[in-house]
Amino acid sequence: MIRTALAMSGLGGLVVAFFAVFGGMALVTGTGVIIESGLRSSITDQRLTGADVLVSAPQSHWEPESLPIGLPERAVVPAKLIDDLTALPGVATATGDVTFPTALLSAAPGTTRAGATGETSGTRAAGGAPDTTSAARTGRGTLETGEHGAKTVNGASDATLAAAASTSAAQTGEHGAKAVTGPSASAAPTAKVVGGTGHGWASVALVRGAKVIGSAPRAADEVAVSAAHAVRRGTDVEVVAAGKRAVYRVTAIVDTPGAPALWFADRTAAELAGRTGGPRAGTVDLIGLRAAPGTGPGALAEAVERRLGDDYVVSTGSAKGDAESPGTAAARSMLIALPTSIGGISLLIVGFVVGGGISLSITRQRRELALLRAAGATPRQVRGLVAVQGMTAALAALLPGAAAGYALAGWFGELLVHLGMLPERMPLSYSPLPAVAAALLLLGVVRVSAWATSLPASRMPAVSAVRESAAEPRTPSSVRYRSGLLLIGASLLLATPPLYIRGEIAVVGPGTAALVSVIGLALAGPRLVQGATGLLARRLPAHVPAPLWLAVSNTRGYALRTAGAIAALGMAVTLTTSISLSHTTVMRATDEETAEILKADAVVTAPAYGGIPDGLMDDVRRLPGVTAAVATSTTTILTSPFGDGGLQAQPAAVLGPDAGAVVDLGVTGGSLADLKGAAVAVDDRSGDVGDRRTLVLGDGAEVKARVVATYSRVLGLGPVVLSRDLVAGHTTTGLDSTVLVRGDAPLDRLTGHWPGLGIAADSDSPQAGRTSSQLWINVAVLGVLLGYVLVSVANRLVATTAARGPELTAIKRLGATPRQLTAMIRWEALLIALTASLAGLAMSAVPLVLLGIGFLGRPWPAGPLWLVPAAVAVVCVVVWLAFDLTARRLIRRA
Amino acid sequence: MNHVVTLTGVTKRYGELTALDDVSLGFPRGRFVAVMGPSGSGKSTLIQCAAALDLPTSGSVVIGGVDVGTLNETKRTILRREHIGFVFQSYNLLPAISVEENLTLSLRLAGKRPDRPWITELVERVGLQDHLRRRPAELSGGQQQRAAIVRALAARPDVIFADEPTGALDLRSASQVLDLLRSLVDDLGQTVVMVTHDPAAAARAHDALVMADGRLVDVLPEPTADDLAARLTGLAKRPAFGGAQ
Repeated sequence: MIRTALAMSGLGGLVVAFFAVFGGMALVTGTGVIIESGLRSSITDQRLTGADVLVSAPQSHWEPESLPIGLPERAVVPAKLIDDLTALPGVATATGDVTFPTALLSAAPGTTRAGATGETSGTRAAGGAPDTTSAARTGRGTLETGEHGAKTVNGASDATLAAAASTSAAQTGEHGAKAVTGPSASAAPTAKVVGGTGHGWASVALVRGAKVIGSAPRAADEVAVSAAHAVRRGTDVEVVAAGKRAVYRVTAIVDTPGAPALWFADRTAAELAGRTGGPRAGTVDLIGLRAAPGTGPGALAEAVERRLGDDYVVSTGSAKGDAESPGTAAARSMLIALPTSIGGISLLIVGFVVGGGISLSITRQRRELALLRAAGATPRQVRGLVAVQGMTAALAALLPGAAAGYALAGWFGELLVHLGMLPERMPLSYSPLPAVAAALLLLGVVRVSAWATSLPASRMPAVSAVRESAAEPRTPSSVRYRSGLLLIGASLLLATPPLYIRGEIAVVGPGTAALVSVIGLALAGPRLVQGATGLLARRLPAHVPAPLWLAVSNTRGYALRTAGAIAALGMAVTLTTSISLSHTTVMRATDEETAEILKADAVVTAPAYGGIPDGLMDDVRRLPGVTAAVATSTTTILTSPFGDGGLQAQPAAVLGPDAGAVVDLGVTGGSLADLKGAAVAVDDRSGDVGDRRTLVLGDGAEVKARVVATYSRVLGLGPVVLSRDLVAGHTTTGLDSTVLVRGDAPLDRLTGHWPGLGIAADSDSPQAGRTSSQLWINVAVLGVLLGYVLVSVANRLVATTAARGPELTAIKRLGATPRQLTAMIRWEALLIALTASLAGLAMSAVPLVLLGIGFLGRPWPAGPLWLVPAAVAVVCVVVWLAFDLTARRLIRRA
Repeated sequence: MNHVVTLTGVTKRYGELTALDDVSLGFPRGRFVAVMGPSGSGKSTLIQCAAALDLPTSGSVVIGGVDVGTLNETKRTILRREHIGFVFQSYNLLPAISVEENLTLSLRLAGKRPDRPWITELVERVGLQDHLRRRPAELSGGQQQRAAIVRALAARPDVIFADEPTGALDLRSASQVLDLLRSLVDDLGQTVVMVTHDPAAAARAHDALVMADGRLVDVLPEPTADDLAARLTGLAKRPAFGGAQ
């Protein structure tokens, strides 16, 4: 049976199926690796290596019946837990840890020394403010930077920070550790600044193998520095810690591997981190536990979990890295969210291509299958035979496909790191699981499509089977045609949201519309091709060259054969144009609106300091020529963009009441000057002044806020703007990220006192950075998908063309010269390529036109419009190569 | 000379196999000639060479005064278009186009305007006037073969070669096709050369050539089916029979 099956199939059809499965396997496995990494990967590098168990607040927001959403802002733990945990049997020590951004300036030009409070206290003593809100999740933002400076963990679903154009460059110091020299460092060539993290002295005990030379910092103006900072004991250093600039005396050098860090007296650290008062009083970022002798980390973790319940995350081993870096969960959410947005498209394409490949290899054998039926094979046997063929091709492709998939995932991971969407130290996790899942999925697709294609062939009465198989052209079914038209119609509806929704979500509509219409095209294709070429044939002048006439007739007569290729190529064109151009359109609209919103002439950022340090604002305002300066930052909030309660992480701008001087949101109600206390401004289509909103902030805290202003320009800063008071205590660093400056001022002068500043002439919106990295991801994924589609279409075309030997011989015998045959094949290629391009462009035209109207006020999308001719050219070249090279041999032999 | 096509010393080898062995003959104008012989006797090869569909290994084929061997592929095709019509056992109608379009396909390829009255006359003669809009697959085998004959005649060729034109047909359809071919010769003065292995079919011709082992072994004028059957049976018993005309 198997031997018969393989002998019959002929190589051509199987090769097509093999490549389809190979590519599909690679795509699905690759996607699987990304998803699995989203579920299981953890950050490698750890600072608190000496802790057996870490206790932290959850960095994910859980909604019923949906995936957890990663929270990029640090959620904190009440410090009183330290006492509870110390009392737990099996715990040797329990130490609270806080993290905040620090920057060590190389020269100390003599500023005030930190006020000496003289008091030293353990973390246990940190503050007395009781944990006011019950849920641990309402924990208040704490400071943490460097590690994965919020920038590096922003993602498709949750961008965090990222403001000025220059920030992206300056913030690439992955560990916040590199000497960051701002664009204008030349103004003060001697001044250097080295970013790092700051902690309380007690947490040194949690660093394994830390060698301490010197004595612990006890006074408020004392500090211990890691050896990486390369300063001597006893010297005075100028430090900006959590935005506060002061001079400290180095009392100890701590020799530890890892990023540069500073340790302050515990009381000082708590003060700097804002734990001695305000919204985060009496909290720590995490609690590190060391097990008593005789207790294993696992047993200890279990005991802690029993004691604390589900409100806290208890980590051991490699999971401790996640607890240290609050952005990890957000990055993981992004890893899961990415494939779910593009996975739909790639699964569709894989199904398309694999199904097409299998059906092609079966259609090629219709005659043989019919003969088998005539020779006494039951329909079931015929289907079995077809299944064996498909499975053989698929099985052979599984292993190489899986290998390619792992390589693809690795490459994609590098791209994500490069785009700053994935922490560099968070490697993808590789296990056989994605390959196994992909294999099962693909074998399923192969089985189903083999079954579906062979059903009619296997069922027809044996005699008519032989007869029908002799005459290849068949009439496409009308049910198929109508459902195809229905889908195309539905896609038009889906394309309309940009007309009445403003904001990024509107893009989802056109994207889906393109997908749906592509499926519709595949279904309605044969009839449409028949109709179009029939019309063409009737309209052709009577005396067109015979080859052209034959080409048109063939395309019409073999509509089923040609429509498959046309639909696949049309799909390639549609996806290319609609996905790319809808993103560029939104980007253009966002840029234009951002330019209207931000009246800033320059933008100042301070990546090396972890945010805008205290005093910088005043320095900016004091510069001659500055008419206004406004500090802003970006955090993440969870909103329900579709109003259906399903939450999504979204970046949101943070502004103070002074914002109006530089920011013009197109306020339609209320005033930005009221952005005080628990206040927000919202898109005027989504609410009115006076409304009350409940929001989930970036650390998971649920807060209530009053709408004090509504505005119309929603693309630049997003649909919600938060007041600074509202987010205070709910962000990791607690610092603003950007100063927007109005007026022509000598900003370079700032770098003398503040080395390492980022100063840029123009500003980008926070949404822009997000859109462009999404664009790059889309481009990368599209590239891979298109490669797959094009290779498999070329394969199919080669296989169908190669099977046309007898037809070409027949035409030649009727008096066609070789030149005429070649011309006919070329006309056919041109016809298919143009029809596919036209169909593809038509499918993407409506969504793009509507998007253009909705976003740009004109009926065409933003460029690069050369994508359109480029896509057409690629399609033409692929078809021409597949046809011409294959047919050339046939014509010579005919 | 009054020969439409003349073969001189034509030999055709496929590797070791000699399909035609030094055959010389001419097809006279206005006659219905049947070429007979057992399987493998070289009869199909003979008319493929005579119709310039294939080139002999040695010897010459002259069509319309032109030696086919001196022409390249394209020129041979053009020569064929002008002088020769071919009818295949498997009809060779293109399934993608209508019957009517099939009839004029060769003319279209030659870049000639179809002679409408002539084609209409032929169509009526073979009784296909109601089927012109259909696809070939919607016709019976006999109808398809008659359409193929009209196509072969459309360009008014000097000679029509028919390779087992009744091979795939039932008796009734076969008889109609043979009647048609004979009437073309008798009524219109057309020259027809038909390959067949069926003595009854060959008996409808003016002359029957008998082939064996790549050689012409006999010419039977006004043959009867019985004569031919006997001749063929004899050949089957004596495969080594030699000696040309």
